[in-house]
Amino acid sequence: MAFEFPKSLDDLPVSKVKWVGKPVNRVEDPQLVTGKTEFIDNVTLPGMLHCAILHSPHAHARIKSIDMSRAAALPGVVTTLTGEDAERWTRPMYTTPQGWGGYVLATDRVRFVGEPVAAVAATSRYIAEDALELIDVEYEPIDPIVDAFAAAQPDSPKVFEDHDDNIMYQRIFTWGEVEEAFQKADHVYKESFRWNRVGANPLETFGIISEWDIVEDSLTCRGSFQTPSFMAMGRAATFRLPSNKVRFIAQPHGGSFGGKGGGRGTDITLMLSRKAGGRPVKWIEDRMEYLSSGGSQAWDRHYDVSIAVKDDGTVTALRVKLLDDMGATAEGFGATGAVKPMASFTGCYAIPAAEYDLTLVATNKLPVSPYRGMGPPPHNFVLEQMMDIAARDLDLDPAEIRRRNFIPADQFPYIIASGNEYDSGEYEAALDKVLEMAGYEDLRREQEEARAEGRLVGIGVVSTIEPGVFDWNAYTVIGTAGIGIPEGVTVAIDTMGKITARVGFALEGQGQYTVITQLLAEYFGTELEDVRVVHVDNLSAPPNFGPGGSRLGVAITGAVLGAAQRLTEKLTKVAAKMFEVQPEDIELLDGMLRVKKVPESQLSVRNVAAIMLNRSDMLPPDVDPSPQATFAWTAPDRVEPDEQGRVKSYLTAANACHLVMVEIDPGTGKVEILKYYIADDCGTRLNPANVEGMIQGALAQGVGAALLEEYVYDDDGQLLTASFMDYLLPTIHEVPFPEKAALVTPSPFTPLGAKGAGESAIHTTPAAIMCAINDALLPLGVRAKEVPASPNRLWKLIQGASDQ
Amino acid sequence: MAAKRDVRLTVNGVAYEASVEPRMTLVDMLRGELGLTGTHVGCEHGVCGACTVLMDGRAVRSCIMLAVQADGAEFMTVEGLASEAGELHPIQQAFIEERGLQCGFCTPGFMMTIHELLQETPDPTEEEIKDALGGAICRCTGYESILKSVRSAAKKLQALG
Ligand code: FES
Ligand code: FES
Repeated sequence: MAFEFPKSLDDLPVSKVKWVGKPVNRVEDPQLVTGKTEFIDNVTLPGMLHCAILHSPHAHARIKSIDMSRAAALPGVVTTLTGEDAERWTRPMYTTPQGWGGYVLATDRVRFVGEPVAAVAATSRYIAEDALELIDVEYEPIDPIVDAFAAAQPDSPKVFEDHDDNIMYQRIFTWGEVEEAFQKADHVYKESFRWNRVGANPLETFGIISEWDIVEDSLTCRGSFQTPSFMAMGRAATFRLPSNKVRFIAQPHGGSFGGKGGGRGTDITLMLSRKAGGRPVKWIEDRMEYLSSGGSQAWDRHYDVSIAVKDDGTVTALRVKLLDDMGATAEGFGATGAVKPMASFTGCYAIPAAEYDLTLVATNKLPVSPYRGMGPPPHNFVLEQMMDIAARDLDLDPAEIRRRNFIPADQFPYIIASGNEYDSGEYEAALDKVLEMAGYEDLRREQEEARAEGRLVGIGVVSTIEPGVFDWNAYTVIGTAGIGIPEGVTVAIDTMGKITARVGFALEGQGQYTVITQLLAEYFGTELEDVRVVHVDNLSAPPNFGPGGSRLGVAITGAVLGAAQRLTEKLTKVAAKMFEVQPEDIELLDGMLRVKKVPESQLSVRNVAAIMLNRSDMLPPDVDPSPQATFAWTAPDRVEPDEQGRVKSYLTAANACHLVMVEIDPGTGKVEILKYYIADDCGTRLNPANVEGMIQGALAQGVGAALLEEYVYDDDGQLLTASFMDYLLPTIHEVPFPEKAALVTPSPFTPLGAKGAGESAIHTTPAAIMCAINDALLPLGVRAKEVPASPNRLWKLIQGASDQ
Repeated sequence: MAAKRDVRLTVNGVAYEASVEPRMTLVDMLRGELGLTGTHVGCEHGVCGACTVLMDGRAVRSCIMLAVQADGAEFMTVEGLASEAGELHPIQQAFIEERGLQCGFCTPGFMMTIHELLQETPDPTEEEIKDALGGAICRCTGYESILKSVRSAAKKLQALG
């Protein structure tokens, strides 16, 4: 049957909304602030062993021999593992695109520094690490392929011998009359840009405890899994086991941001457990392992961009050529980051034609992973620099050229050139809000005065889209399967009237359990304390995926409201029997099931649930004694892409407008953020404090990406930034605390009008800061085209300018 | 393997004794030997501050200290903040109310650092707060709510006198 989801908070079955949309305290927090939350490294199982992994010191080498005998003989070492075991027991890793990977432990060759080569399980982590030093590996180094452009040449040495070249994927997508638009343009602007590798770095690295029951060949894994059910399916495929024999229990975890990684560590610990007779094997990735061989790195990009523009500033076409350095393999879904920009390719603008010339190339570096935002942040950076370049040449204010190109508010839902549909938006309103908060004209005057004093002060103003509610169909073009991503919940009311929601994902930081609690307390008219959310393993949970793709808030809202509605239908039948009326005559309001228009004939949800469980004599014949219901939600109306990859993929389009003012110290190249303003519109905010927190957190990550964070490899493929001393995360000193405004343009397509939220600032901040930097550099006639705009880069640029 | 050494220390008012290898880090002893898993490890090389505990009242990074260096010292960890009856410490209350945490993995370390700060500087300025917290990393919150938590905790503590 078709479900009618409440379209707004007013449609909920209450006379006055009490919980949803309010910044209630998080149910997660008391456990967290007392140190009681069970992160994976807090879990110890009887007989548990500890794994340590030996990583390749070479970017590219043949493995001539591995001798584990000395390591195996160390007292305390229980078993060891090499690529031979992996070859015997597993399939090669699943990759997107397909066919670009090896086994979880290197077999004949290593292809990046940090690649797992061997592993041991011992009675303590200390002994396991001692044993690593006793492993004798003979390597024959091969020249590493480090430079993406060189790697993309047809005559380049190869990362994988069984491929013709290093090109993992190459395709030109053309949407509309691009060539014609460029020919007819009054102005064409071209520029090249570079975005260096950055990545997630959740404060907790990946961790796991694996058990292989060798009697029934079943697996149990506990760990910091972002997507436990998805990982469980992967293990069934890897080990060729029946999928119902693979049990994954996700522990609460210390952030993920898409880059938790852990596929290799999972399979390695499972094989070690198998060899150790089924003893549990724990592996907690250390930070240096995470940085050099984990889910840490993303977006290593070289861009050539051009735009076609009319005299009045209207952009008629956008061409983006991207060479994306994937590293050594296509494991871990890093390549999806290069495709996601298609979901918001032309940003907030009504640009009718566009082209994406996309090349994914293999090199001897760590394979890239997903990271918050999943790919558009670099794309937005280049698009927004082009808008400013055009504005300057046409003598338009940067805010004005954007305004002239925005998709007008009355044109939604709007299908962009690359095929995705934006649900709703008020881009001009958000821009106006930011300009007003900032006192834009005064700021520009301040800037003029600063410039007159010779100071390098600049302003960036940027609006972006946060595509929300990801769907697999966004990634069909690089080989992912399926349409739709069910997210389910089971809602149960017990005999005491307490409500339990069972979900398939663990705590990660976004406050989703709080949102579920708010929704259920609202729907059934209870206090927050009457609701509890529990995580269950993949074999017990309804279909689920977990957090990812700015999707869970919307998806879980759909699931909860669907389950609540189903449960209410059952309760309604019981109440109808009690009152001797038809179910249609019963309505739910403020936690009471009452006969319509006869308010005194009413029973509480709690009482009806208790009757169902304890008075079978009162049950209607078509109702089972189970006040529970399950519902899985997926985005409606998703289909396959057309031949140019165009598809309605992400269901919602949130919008953010950022304005930032910076000053560059010409003596050091250091950027100081002077002022920052944000207007953010992600539709209905289910818990505004959750949203605000995520905006601020993503802003910090955006500041890191723009100014500080960078994975640096040298010409030998050695990682030079393998510690937090070298990979610089923003601290409280670097992160601004902007004035923030909330606009609410509800989504017409989602339950309660909520949109995918939480990523908007990482989509916007790097672009805005880089626009501000380039505005500051304008008097010098130089342009910053590389991210991060670290002090050494800017200093050199400024020096170059004064040399001229 | 070097011979084990006995270490005696007090954590949250409880005396502990353990026999550890000289190379064992303090955080591994706290978490692994004493079962005090509220203190977390984010980097194991002294940069992130997740492992911060109070040693004789001073904030130290337990990942870059050896357990044997702790012999005879008095420690406070996150487990020592709330009362035995489970009443939350004002710093913990402030973190909940001001949303000073998202994933909560960094939180114990931040709270211990803040505990030290507010002992010495009951009414810190924004600059003083930033200086105290400048060596700790939170990847989730962007710090604004942590700053607010400190302010709120300071008020609560002052009200308590
Ligand atoms: S874990 Fe000790 S400072 Fe990071
Ligand atoms: S709350 Fe997640 S690292 Fe601070």
